[in-house]
Amino acid sequence: MGMNRKWAFLFLMLACISLVSGCWSKKELTDVALVSALGIDIDEKGRYVGTFQIINPGNVAGGMQGGGAGQGPSVSVYSTTGNNIVEVSRRASTKISRRLYYAHTNLVVVSDELAEKEGLAAIMDAFDRHPEFRTTARVVIARESSAADIVKTLTAVDKIPANKVIKTMELTEKRWGEHVKTNIQEVTKDLVSPGKEPILTGFRMIGNAKKGEKMENVQESALDAILQADAIAVFKDDKLVDWLTGETARGTLWVLDKIKSTGISIDWQDKQEAIAYQVVRQKTKVTATMKNGQPQISINVQAEGDIDEANVPVNLADPRVLLRIEKALGKEIEKEIHKSIQHASQHKTDIFGFGEAMHRSEPESWKRMEKNWNDEHFPKLKVKVNVDAYIRRTGLRSKPMHFGGHLRVGPPVGQRVKAVGFSTPRG
Amino acid sequence: MPSFFKRKNVTKTRYNQKSGNKEQSPEKKPGSIGFSLSVNLDIIKQRTGNSTDIITRHVKIGPNYGLKTVVVYVAGIVNEQFIHDFLIESLMKDHFLQEDLNLENAAEIIVDDLVALSSVMQISEWNQLLLSLMSGDTIILIDGLDKALSVSTEGGEKRAIEEPGAQVSVRGSRAGFVESLGTNTALVRRIIKSPDLWLESMKIGKVTKTDVAIMYINGIAKQEIVEEVRSRLNKLEVDSILESGYIEQLIEDQTFTPFPTLYNTERPDIVAGNLLEGRIAIFIDGTPFVLLAPAVFVQFFQSTDDYYARFDMATALRLLRILIFIISLIAPAAYVAVTTFHQEMIPTQLVITVAAQREAVPFPAFVEALIMEVTFEILREAGIRLPRAVGSAVSIVGALVIGQAAVQAGIVSPAMVIIVSITAIASFATPSFSMAISARLIRFFIMISAATFGFYGIILAFIMLLAHLCSLRSFSVPYMTPLAPFILANVGDTIVRFPWLDLGTRPKLISQKDNIGQGETMKSQPPENSGMVTANTGKGDGNES
Amino acid sequence: MEKARISAYQLFVLMYLFQLGSAILIPLAIEAKQDAWLAILVGMIVGVVPFFIYYSLYQYYPDILPTQYTERIVGKMFGRAISLLYILYLSYLSARVLRDFGEMLLSFAYPETPLFIANALLMFVVMYTVRKGIEVLARTGELLFTLMILLAFSGLLLVVFSGLIDLNNLKPMLEEGLKPVIKVALTQTVFFPFGEVVAFAMIFPYLNHPKKVKVAGLLALGLGGTGLALAMAINISVLGVDLVSRSQFPLLSTIQSIQIASFLERLDVYFMIGSIIGIFLKISVYFYAAVTGTANLFNVKQPSQLAYPIGIIILFLSVTIASNFSEHLEEGLKLVPLILHLPFQIILPLFLLIIAFIKRGKGQKEKRVQRESAPRRGEA
Repeated sequence: MGMNRKWAFLFLMLACISLVSGCWSKKELTDVALVSALGIDIDEKGRYVGTFQIINPGNVAGGMQGGGAGQGPSVSVYSTTGNNIVEVSRRASTKISRRLYYAHTNLVVVSDELAEKEGLAAIMDAFDRHPEFRTTARVVIARESSAADIVKTLTAVDKIPANKVIKTMELTEKRWGEHVKTNIQEVTKDLVSPGKEPILTGFRMIGNAKKGEKMENVQESALDAILQADAIAVFKDDKLVDWLTGETARGTLWVLDKIKSTGISIDWQDKQEAIAYQVVRQKTKVTATMKNGQPQISINVQAEGDIDEANVPVNLADPRVLLRIEKALGKEIEKEIHKSIQHASQHKTDIFGFGEAMHRSEPESWKRMEKNWNDEHFPKLKVKVNVDAYIRRTGLRSKPMHFGGHLRVGPPVGQRVKAVGFSTPRG
Repeated sequence: MPSFFKRKNVTKTRYNQKSGNKEQSPEKKPGSIGFSLSVNLDIIKQRTGNSTDIITRHVKIGPNYGLKTVVVYVAGIVNEQFIHDFLIESLMKDHFLQEDLNLENAAEIIVDDLVALSSVMQISEWNQLLLSLMSGDTIILIDGLDKALSVSTEGGEKRAIEEPGAQVSVRGSRAGFVESLGTNTALVRRIIKSPDLWLESMKIGKVTKTDVAIMYINGIAKQEIVEEVRSRLNKLEVDSILESGYIEQLIEDQTFTPFPTLYNTERPDIVAGNLLEGRIAIFIDGTPFVLLAPAVFVQFFQSTDDYYARFDMATALRLLRILIFIISLIAPAAYVAVTTFHQEMIPTQLVITVAAQREAVPFPAFVEALIMEVTFEILREAGIRLPRAVGSAVSIVGALVIGQAAVQAGIVSPAMVIIVSITAIASFATPSFSMAISARLIRFFIMISAATFGFYGIILAFIMLLAHLCSLRSFSVPYMTPLAPFILANVGDTIVRFPWLDLGTRPKLISQKDNIGQGETMKSQPPENSGMVTANTGKGDGNES
Repeated sequence: MEKARISAYQLFVLMYLFQLGSAILIPLAIEAKQDAWLAILVGMIVGVVPFFIYYSLYQYYPDILPTQYTERIVGKMFGRAISLLYILYLSYLSARVLRDFGEMLLSFAYPETPLFIANALLMFVVMYTVRKGIEVLARTGELLFTLMILLAFSGLLLVVFSGLIDLNNLKPMLEEGLKPVIKVALTQTVFFPFGEVVAFAMIFPYLNHPKKVKVAGLLALGLGGTGLALAMAINISVLGVDLVSRSQFPLLSTIQSIQIASFLERLDVYFMIGSIIGIFLKISVYFYAAVTGTANLFNVKQPSQLAYPIGIIILFLSVTIASNFSEHLEEGLKLVPLILHLPFQIILPLFLLIIAFIKRGKGQKEKRVQRESAPRRGEA
C-alpha cells in the first residue's frame, strides 16, 4: 500500500508539473529569431536606433529542408528606436514575428557617432547584465559608416555578415596585427579599470550601401559593398577620441602583447622597405617602477621570425648580416611602439594598461596617482622600450636572386609588391 | 553423454533425500498406495483424467510369471529406449535373476538386480508417485505390494546445445544453456571441477512443479546470501514458474524499480565466472536463462569478451558502454532540451543548421521526439514479433518511413532522425538486454523532464536516478557496489578492467571474507637483459667482439 | 536515529561537496579583492577550530545524536530547547541554500519560471533522496563526487587551455596588508562555508569507524578550502577583481568566457551540472540533519515520514524569506553570520563542550570542576 501511494504521489507530482508548467522559459527554435549582429546608432533626437541582423536559417544551411539555400538573403535586418537598449529590443516585436534571441549574437556594432557623443558605458550595461547576451560577443565601431550599414551589408563566402566581420577581425589580428578583437567582457573590464582604457576595432563599409543590402551584391565577383577592418578606435573613459591606423595601431598591439604574427619591412642599403620580416612569435613584457618618485615604464619585446622577402642583394647566409638586420628590425619595432605611445599621450588616454602595471608593482604609489592617472601622470610617463628581434630562418633560399648573379633587376620601386604577411609553406 | 549421467547423479541425490524422509514417516496414511494393482491403476487413471499419454505396460515377472506388474510412464518426457532396453526387457527376460523372486523381496531384487538404470527408489505415497511420473520417471507397480518403484528415466526430445542467441561474444565458449536443467548444471560443472560446487534442488509452483536448482561454490559464496536465496525461494507459493523471469520478479528486493536486480544469462562461462566471484546461480528447468544473484549495476555493462581480451581494450570498451548507456538515456532528451531551452549552448553554426531543419516541422521538438521514439519502439516490437520471412519487410518499411518519407514530408527533421538512430543503436549496444530495456523506459521519463525544464530537468532526473540506483539492493548487497559504497580493492573490475595480475580480490560484499582470488607470485619474469635483442647466449649483444 | 552506517570516505565526500556547494557559485570573500583566495584559505585554517569543537562533542557522545546529548549536557528542558533551535537553524539554512539556487537558476537560464516551481523540483529530488536515508545519500554523494571531480578537472583544463588565465589580475598581493584578509576570513569565510559543517554533528554518529572522523573531516576541510580558493583565484585571474565583485555568479562568467577552437564554447551546462550537484548535496545534508534531529527529538519512529512535511515547509520558507535577491544576499552576508552563524556554530557548541568537559571531569577530578564551572553551571 505504502509503495503504491508513494508512486502514485510521485506520478501525480510529475504529471502536475509537466501539465501545469505550460513550459515557462521554453522557446521553440521556430519561435525565436536568432540575432547574429546588433548595430546601435543614435538618431537626431538622441535616441538609440537598434538594427538587428536576423539569421534566415533556411537560407544559410544546406540540406533538404533548406531547399532554397542561397536563394534568399541569409539575413534579414530590422531597425527600431528607443531610449534605451531594452526598449529598442522590446519594441522590435512590433516588426518581427519572433522573439529576439541574443545568445548567438556574436557581434555588436556601435556607430562612431554614438561612441563619441554618448559613450559606451550606457549601452554596455545592458549587454553585460542580460543573461542571454554572451560576454564573448565581439564589439566593433562603425567608422564613417552607420552601424546599420555594417549590419545590413550582405557578404559573400561567409554567408552571415556578422561572421564575416568577426572572422575578418580575428584573422587580421592574427596575421597582420593592426586590429584587435575585443569582446564585451574586455570592454567592460577596461571601462571600469582606472589603469586601462578600451580600444576597439573600427569597421567600415566601402561601396554602395543600398546595393550592399541586395542579393545582387553577393552574386557578383567584385562586390559592390564590402566590410573592411579599418583602424583602431581609442577611447578615453568611455568616449571615442581618436583612431589609430597603420604602424601606430600595430605599435599599440605590440605593447599589449597581442601581436601573433605580422610582417615588418625595413630599409636596406638605401632601398626602402627592402627586407620583409615575418614575426612568428613574440613576447612583450611591461614593467612599471617608481624612480625618484616618478613612474617609469619599461617595455621589453622579444620577437622571433623569418625573413620572407629580400629585394636587395644581401647575403642572408651570413650570420653577421642577419645580426645587423635584427638590429634594424628592433629599431623599426621600437619606432612603431614609440609612435603609438606618443599618440595616446596626446589624447591622455592609457590604452596600454600602464596604470594597471603600476597598480600591480607599486600599489602604494598607485593609490596617489589613481585619480588623475590619465590626465596627469600618463602623458608625462617615461617609457623605455627595448626590442630584441631574432631571425630564425630565411625561407627556402639563402641569398636573394640579385646577389652575385648576372640578374640584377630588382623590380622598380613603384611597382614593388609588398608581400609581407605571406606565410611560409612550412607553416 | 557425460552430461546425461551427471544429471542422473543429481536427481539421485535429490530423490534419496526425500525417500529417506519418507521412510521415517508412519505407514498407511490416506494418501498411501494400496495393495491392489488394479485399484492402484484406477487411481492413477482417475487422478490423471485418463490422459492418453500415460502408457501402462503389463508384464508378469517372477519364477512362474506369478507377479502381476505394471510399468507406467508418460510418453514423450521419458527416454523410451531406456525403458525398453533396461527396464522392460530385464523384467521380462532375466529369469535367472528372478528365481527367488517373491512378493516380499520383489522390490529389492528389482532395484538391486534387474533394473540397469542408475536411480531407482521406493515410493509409497500417491502424491510422490504422481510427481515422479509427471517428472519423467517410470513407475513400477507390483500387485500385492503397497509400494511403487520409481525409475529415473527422464528424457524426451531436447534441444541440442547451441550458441546463445541473446548474448553473443567474439571469443570464448560457444555453448549456451538449453531448456533442460540437468544439461545446464552439467555445463557449469564441466567448467568448475570442484567438489565445492554445490547444488540444491527444489520444486516450485503448485501446479507446474518446476525444478529449480541453486548452485554456488561452498567457501566462496557468502553463507547469509545463500541462506537468503534459499529462504526466498522456499517461501514462493505460486501456481506456475514458466520462466526464470517469474522467479526474478518474485524474489527481487524491490519491485518498483525499472532496473534488473538479478542478472540473467544464457552462457555457462558467465555463470561459472560469477560463481567464482561468490554469486549464486538459480537454474530453472525449461528455460535457458539462468539467474545470478546478487547482481550489481556495473555487472550489466560487462561482457565475457572483457575478460578474454586484453585489459586496455576491455577498459576502453567498458567506458564506451557506459557512454552508450548514457546516450541511450539522454540523447533525445538532450535534443529536446537544446532545441527548446538552451539554444545558447550549441555553437552558432549548429543552431542555424538545426533551426533550418526545424523550420518546416509542424510539431514542437518534444512532440517530434516523442513521435519518432514511439515509432521506433513500434518498429522494434513489430520486428521481434514478425515471422522471420517478413522481418526484413519491416526494416525496409521502417527505414523508408522514418528515414526518408517522414523527413521529406516535413514531419520530422533530419537531426531528429539522427538522434533517434543513435539512440536506437546505442540501446542495442548494451550487453545486457534487461538493462537495455530499462533504459528504454527511463528515456521517456527523462524526455518529459527535458521538455518541461530543459537541462535542469535532465540533471534532476539524473540525480534522482542515481539516488534510486543507490537505494537499490540485491540480496542486501548495495546495487552500486563497488562504486558506491566505494570499495577500492574491487574497483579494478567495474567500468574499467585492470590487468588480471591486479585483480586479486573477490568482490567484498558478495563473497566470503579472507578470500584471495589469486596468488601474488604468478607474474611472469622475463629474462632481464632482453631489452633490445633476445640474448639467449648469455653474452648479451656484444658476443662478436 | 536510523540504523545505518556510513564510511569515513563517504563522510569526506559529503563534507567536501557540502562545502563547495553554494560557496563556489558566489563571489566569496570578494571584499578582500584579489586576495579573496587568501581569505578563503585563512578562513579554512581558522575553520578547523569549530570543527574540533563538534568533533570533541562527538567524542564525548559517539553513539547519540546532538539532539540527545544536549539533553544529557544541560538537562532535559534546556537541551530540548537548544535542539529545537538547532533544527530551526538547519531548516532555515537549507531554505537559504535552496533560495540561493533558485535565484541563480532563474537569473541565468530560466527567467520566466516562477521561483517556487524551480525550487520545488529540486526540493522534490532532495526529499526523495533523504527519505531513503543517510546511506543512500552518502552513496549518491560518492557517485556525484566522481562526476564533480571529472567536471572540475576538465573545466580547469579548459580554462587553462583557452589561455584566459592572467595571473597579473591577482597582483598586487596584500595591497592593503593582511588586515582586510583576516577581517573577511573571520567575519565571513570561517562561518560560510567552513563553520557550516556544524550540520555534520548530526551525521558523525553514523560513522562505522569513529576514529576516522577527524582525518576525514580535516581532509574535507583542507581540500574543500583549497578547491574554493583555487576556484576563486581562477575567477579573479580570468575576470579581474572588478568583474568578479560585480558578478552574482563569477564562476558562470568564467565558464562562459571559455572559447577553444571555436567549438568548445558555451559550456554553461558545465556550470549547471556542477552547481546543481553541489547545491543538491548541501541542501540534502542540512535537510537530513533537520529531519533526523526532529525525529530524534520527538521520538518519531520512522524519520522518513518527516521528510515530506519538513521538506514542504522548507520549500515555502525558501520563497518567502526575502522579497528579492539583493535582500536575500544582504541578509545572508550581513545578518546571518552575526545573528545565526556565530551563536550556532561557535558559541553554543563551545558552551556545550565546556559543560560536557566539566561533567566528564567531575567524576575524575572534583577540584577542577568546582574551580572552573561554578558560574557556568549557575547559568545553565
